[in-house]
Amino acid sequence: MTFTISAPPHRKEAITFKKMTWAKVIALMPVVLLSVYLFGLPAIGLVIASILAAVVTEVAIQKAFNQKITIDDGSTILIGLMVAMIIPPEAPLWIPMIGSVFAIGIGKHAFGGIGSYVFNPVLAAWVFLSLAWWSIMSPLSYPQTTALSDLILETGAGHIAGVSPLALLIPGCILILLRYVEWRIPVSFFLTTILLAVLVGDSLSYVVLGVVLFGILFLATDTSSSPVTKNGRVIYGIVCGVLVVVYGHFANYVDAIFYGLFLANCVSSLIDNNTLPESYGTETFLQRKYKRILSKVPFKDRLEVLLND
Amino acid sequence: MTKVNIMKKMPEKVIIPLKQHDGTACDPLVKKGDMVCEGQKIGECGVYNSASVHSSVSGEVISIEEAPHPNGNKVNSVIIQLSEEPECVDFNPKDVQDSELADFIKDAGIVEHYGFPTHMVLKPEGKKIDVVLVNATSSEWIGGHYDTPSQYSSQMLDALKLLMRASGASKGAIVLRNDDLESINAFDGLNYDGKPITVAPLVGKRKINYYFKDMSSDIVVVSQEHIYGKKILDLFTYNVTGRKVSFGCVPTDVGVAICSVKSAKALYDAVNAGKPYIETVVSVSGKVNNPQKILVKIGTTFKDVIEECGGYIGEPGKLIANGSITGVAQYTDEVPVSKTTTSIYVQSADEVVRGESVDCTHCARCVDVCPVNLIPSRIAAMSDQGRFDECRQMHIMNCVECGRCAAVCPSKIHVLQLIKYAKNSIEKAYEDLAPKESPANLKLGCGCSGGE
Repeated sequence: MTFTISAPPHRKEAITFKKMTWAKVIALMPVVLLSVYLFGLPAIGLVIASILAAVVTEVAIQKAFNQKITIDDGSTILIGLMVAMIIPPEAPLWIPMIGSVFAIGIGKHAFGGIGSYVFNPVLAAWVFLSLAWWSIMSPLSYPQTTALSDLILETGAGHIAGVSPLALLIPGCILILLRYVEWRIPVSFFLTTILLAVLVGDSLSYVVLGVVLFGILFLATDTSSSPVTKNGRVIYGIVCGVLVVVYGHFANYVDAIFYGLFLANCVSSLIDNNTLPESYGTETFLQRKYKRILSKVPFKDRLEVLLND
Repeated sequence: MTKVNIMKKMPEKVIIPLKQHDGTACDPLVKKGDMVCEGQKIGECGVYNSASVHSSVSGEVISIEEAPHPNGNKVNSVIIQLSEEPECVDFNPKDVQDSELADFIKDAGIVEHYGFPTHMVLKPEGKKIDVVLVNATSSEWIGGHYDTPSQYSSQMLDALKLLMRASGASKGAIVLRNDDLESINAFDGLNYDGKPITVAPLVGKRKINYYFKDMSSDIVVVSQEHIYGKKILDLFTYNVTGRKVSFGCVPTDVGVAICSVKSAKALYDAVNAGKPYIETVVSVSGKVNNPQKILVKIGTTFKDVIEECGGYIGEPGKLIANGSITGVAQYTDEVPVSKTTTSIYVQSADEVVRGESVDCTHCARCVDVCPVNLIPSRIAAMSDQGRFDECRQMHIMNCVECGRCAAVCPSKIHVLQLIKYAKNSIEKAYEDLAPKESPANLKLGCGCSGGE
């Protein structure tokens, strides 16, 4: 009888990185299918061209540097798909291809591949394409922002990512419930955006766009470019929300979501390094002050119960 | 109440390791060919950090040799072939003075399940204990088989009194798990020494001192959340008493002795029945036909225990001593149950984890599950690069080695191993640094003030 010997833990959760990325790809499928229905065949052309370019770039780079080919983990396909989703459907096919090549080549591999990149490759590609071909990158039709109910259900305008907020919201929430995507960033991001938008007086129907939900649920929660500490993730969500509202208020929320998130990526490691948790049992700043004040209060014996740990 | 079965079929031979704790190994008192009877002392060591070893069966010593030990090493062991007729040393209740209790515990061979001899926990050299805790959060009913819950609770309280007497501590507490309703019900409303016992929850700032004062009693029963891990004692001490154990220290440095239900029960038995620590309860789970909790003699091989539980289902892939998250995988099933064995877990071949690690994607799942607020992903990366100082700055020594970070990691990174590697390196560095005789006013190592 032979027994395997290995180090603990001997049981692990079945979830893998591969499963997580493929789950995200599947979660984006309803929107893609809906956009094909609304925009016609150009939409599917965009998606296929973008994914193909992404896969070819990934294989070429990994072959050239003698790395293991990692197409099957799904991250390349996810990036290709997301690049296509933030490009206007009437754009020529070479635009998403260049976008994908930039996203994979520069956005991902120049920084060291999965887990090492600073900027979300999709956003990097968006910034690059927007600066290079501004006229092509602005969609012919922007979502009609009249009533909130229309917006939530269907708009059929803007980018592929913006065709139907509901078709993004439901799969995104399912991902959060399944814990494939963590909840702190989307929740704090969403609440900050809504609160600030109301405060500065923007109509909510301008804010709750499909693209904004896409950014909140799929772009901001990209694991490599967001902080890891618990408090840091909440702060990151708030920073994202503030930046998006600042840009959205003075321009439009469609561009604001990409640019705001891109800027928030810049500070994510700064947030991370400044919110490292203390050792357990260490008092926080407020607790220290509170104790100090209490220790100076007379009639100490009355407060004994409070001070007694 | 979980039923504890008694092993019916006696094994053919037992392997009794002469070292069943972290201290010094015992010298054998018998030699090959000797006849021994149940309860006879077969190993003893004069050094303080060692506990005696007793024969759990009667029979003939067929050899004294290096044999496998569930911690993965080989240890000098006494191998006993069972005789036809069981013989037994007369077990008599003993009346022990307080000052002799520590020696009595050493003599009865009682050790904690985490590997420390109990008398060293209760009476550490050069330190003073003022609180004794019985940790029932991980092994609530396995200390023995009881007929009723109230028997369990009153016996535990008696055992706690004995432990307090042995250590000279004035205060004691039993810590239960707050989701273990069975134990909580057993203690709640119990009348002990004319005083009703209430199970108090440990919430926020309300630590154990609050309840000592609140109930004006020296013995309290409290409950807390379930935490587990290999190096849990420091966190446990903080959670229960509010005393922080600093780096390089153990709970006894701050005056806290932590005992398990198993050793409390063993001490109770040793005093009231005169029985040394020769049998223990092991929970068998996984791919066996009849998973159960079973009372076995120390030294019974895993093979015999599993046969008693109906044998393996199919071909076993992995045999694990002490839990599926932190336990040690065994290379053979001819390994004996020792005093530190609490469970046996069998995995089938296709359950064995064979994940290949990929790059960390900073998904922060490990951060979310860590019970002591660490950033395991970052610590693992630092450890991988040999940056141990930075690991220490990130409070790596707080790690309780629960292994949850490695269990949830989607990239299948060996987080726990990397953390253990860094911890060992840091500990070694401190060992090298500590002066043998302190020549100057430089003081290294434990900085605990002792108590508050």
